[in-house]
Amino acid sequence: MSGAPATLAPVERRITQERLVEYADASGDHNPLHLDEEFARGTPYGRTIAHGMLVLALVSELMTGSFREAWLRGGRLKTRFRAPVFPGDTVRATGTLKGSDGATATYDVAVTNEGGENVITGEASVTLDA
Amino acid sequence: MDLSTLEPGDPLVDRDIVITASMADAYTRAVGDECALYAEEGLVPPMAVAALVMAEAMEAVSLPAGTVHTGQELTFSRPVTVDSAVRCSATVAANSVRRGTRFLTLDLRGELDGQPAVEGRAALAVPEADG
Repeated sequence: MSGAPATLAPVERRITQERLVEYADASGDHNPLHLDEEFARGTPYGRTIAHGMLVLALVSELMTGSFREAWLRGGRLKTRFRAPVFPGDTVRATGTLKGSDGATATYDVAVTNEGGENVITGEASVTLDA
Repeated sequence: MDLSTLEPGDPLVDRDIVITASMADAYTRAVGDECALYAEEGLVPPMAVAALVMAEAMEAVSLPAGTVHTGQELTFSRPVTVDSAVRCSATVAANSVRRGTRFLTLDLRGELDGQPAVEGRAALAVPEADG
């Protein structure tokens, strides 16, 4: 692909406890904060929360959707996890072009929850195919 | 592991992981990524590589259960094909304590044939034991 769209096609996903269990098995991250309701009740969150890397995967999916292998060969992400995502939440990843010099495109990226709260914010850059 | 002993540069993980097609499929199902690119080209999602290196590092330091991921930087340089042996390594980048919380930063790296495929830096907030 050449050029950089002004906005990227959003990616939306419902996060369920079943998804957290599947992700734990697939990634090897079995932190009980994500899996054990009883443990999570004793934390400041009061219940289980999604793995940060699971939610961040939506941003990578967002970039792959527009840039395909270019993202895999020349993608950069710099993000902060701003708020927890709870089972039952539907989250949405979006990207807005911040700048492009023709060789690299940089996007402001965010993942928001149903209430419009940013749960992840940051920047994603991709080296554009010639 | 006593986290207070960790210093910048300390190695945590350095081993090969072969990411099979079934591992890649399990990952894409779990995150819900239906992008056909991976199946069509026999590629592993780069976030799957990052997640595996991250999990290896977290296991190596036996992070306490309430550990929270606060930030993540990643660079993807080469596509990883299924059944490739990825050299996974992680080192400590920073380690400090402020107001009862340990802030641990880890450098992560997944290499193919000696060349970086996925590199990154993870920031973690680790609850310190009371007292």
